[in-house]
Amino acid sequence: MEISDNVKKLMEDGSEDHDDSLEKISEAFICCVCLDLLYKPVVLACGHISCFWCVHKSMSDLRESHCPICRHPYYHFPTICQMLHFLLLKMYPVTYRRREIQILEDEKELGCFSPQFNGPVCTPQSEQELNNVDSSQRSEISSLDLSNDPSCSSNGVVLFNGEQLQSGLTGQENLRTSMGGIEATNTIVDHGDKLHHRSANGACQTISVDDALCTLCNRLIYRPVVLNCGHAYCESCIVVQPNETLKCQKCQSAHPGQAPKVCLDFDNFLEEQFPVDYALRRSAFQLNPSCSQQDSATTCSSEATNDNSHLLTSSGDNPLSWWGDHKIHIGAGCDSCGMYPIIGDRYRCKDCVEEIGYDLCGDCYNTRSKLPGRFNQQHTPEHKFEIMRPNSIRNIMSRLLRGQLGDPSAAPSVSSDDVSENPANVVLSVSDDAQETAESGFATPDETEEDQSNHQ
Amino acid sequence: MNSSSGAGGMATSSSAGIKIVGAGGGGGGGAGGSGGGGRSWPSTTSVSASGKRIQREMTELNMDPPPDCSAGPKGDNLYHWVATLIGPHGTPYHGGIFFLDITFPGDYPFKPPKVVFKTRIYHCNVDSTGNVSLDILKDSWSPALTISKVLIALVSIFTNPDTYKPLVPGIAHLYSTDRAKHDELAAEWTMRFAR
Repeated sequence: MEISDNVKKLMEDGSEDHDDSLEKISEAFICCVCLDLLYKPVVLACGHISCFWCVHKSMSDLRESHCPICRHPYYHFPTICQMLHFLLLKMYPVTYRRREIQILEDEKELGCFSPQFNGPVCTPQSEQELNNVDSSQRSEISSLDLSNDPSCSSNGVVLFNGEQLQSGLTGQENLRTSMGGIEATNTIVDHGDKLHHRSANGACQTISVDDALCTLCNRLIYRPVVLNCGHAYCESCIVVQPNETLKCQKCQSAHPGQAPKVCLDFDNFLEEQFPVDYALRRSAFQLNPSCSQQDSATTCSSEATNDNSHLLTSSGDNPLSWWGDHKIHIGAGCDSCGMYPIIGDRYRCKDCVEEIGYDLCGDCYNTRSKLPGRFNQQHTPEHKFEIMRPNSIRNIMSRLLRGQLGDPSAAPSVSSDDVSENPANVVLSVSDDAQETAESGFATPDETEEDQSNHQ
Repeated sequence: MNSSSGAGGMATSSSAGIKIVGAGGGGGGGAGGSGGGGRSWPSTTSVSASGKRIQREMTELNMDPPPDCSAGPKGDNLYHWVATLIGPHGTPYHGGIFFLDITFPGDYPFKPPKVVFKTRIYHCNVDSTGNVSLDILKDSWSPALTISKVLIALVSIFTNPDTYKPLVPGIAHLYSTDRAKHDELAAEWTMRFAR
């Protein structure tokens, strides 16, 4: 295949603008959608990770969305996992910085921004790393020198001091000293492992167990699961009571659907990165299995679980039935729980000036969720809300789609139901129907097929 | 939040009546300003998200190409590729070289690439104009799929035609009723068009 000079040049440019080639990114942290380092990672309920924007753009604004990797259906746009975010920032400061600049440009063009993190603990550190990329590179080189030096690699203590020094550089000393005990349990073998990992993995030297702690038990996270709110727990620290919604212990927000599955990529990474601590956690876990409430079906599988949705109606095998009887707000998502599209009541903030707006679903409106907007909206609790009706033009769409489903026996009854269910639209319904017949030719075969695929 | 955030949604692949709905949602422009339309392809100088992703795929494909396939940009346009497939051993397509046109939409990878056979082929999943019926190129598309995986899937339908969802029912019927005759015809077409 001949590649023109122009494109060749482009390819070279493409690789040149990664002056971060020193950082060898672990496979686990490559986003499956943009094929780049994860930026502001979001962990789906099936345990697969993707970037904030990659997840958002992959979501369907008409119906439930599917994981790009395993096609597991989901309805809620999860919040960014801050633990992973800061872990990546620490491990790959140069690449992460490049990603930040690149995404920020896209966001400026879009006029819509992803959440900005400025936690009191994390900001100084992250800013320091971002601004002093050079210094972090220097420390990276010095540690690489250390690891290449055979005399050092045989002496765990020297390396340990080196680590302390580095962590001092990144302002994490206070945290680390509190966790010194754990670090001290590391054997020389462990350091050997770490060294090996470092030489293979370039920039991974600055992270420690403290960067991957469970929200609840405060130990190295073991078999991590990430809730819809973005908080990460050990699988065993999550207790699901039957007939009760799972709630985050930290932010009290409910996790919709079933318990999330273990994020296996992250788990494997932790096992590789902290072999000794991980083995300790595993053995403790195996000794005391009582604290594990479930070992069944929590790993990711591609099988679609039908029971994971409270949204599915009784006739769950009809592809559109899950929003058939509900008011659906196509293209609008809840800024608190992330439900997208919103099904049921939708409340829109009257005071938020951002073009993207601030919406809440009925449940989140009633619980007065205090979570900030998903797209960095400057929403405050004083803002007033108004209830929104589903856009009537969009309801035409839904009827159009239903008409296109190729189930002639069901279609007429459904549409008549629709009219009676939505009294707000009765006035419109005459013209709607007229339009419907006029426009029914417009629905593309693509969409019909999409519906059928959902059906399968 | 609403759909104005560039999800593109349904606006792209649909026709006039539905586009109005998309515009009502706030007119989602594609990320990076390349436009979600896919009607006018962004030039190679575009640094849009889709362009970056295609560049990455190109680099990966050059480093580790799947067996019996090759692919790359046709000219200066990163969004227009040419691919070749070599008919695998043990199939009537063996010995043939099949050319394909691949067109990436502006909102790739959230919409599938369009793949068209430029070489005529006797196959129940490829019609006379070169359109392919492959589920992952339509409703089963996932943004995690890459051109490399698409090419592998295409090679696999050489070996195992999907007779349940044929584009040319006649060929599918012949395949399931008189395999020898089907293979003979397919080999003949391969000799005639794909060498």
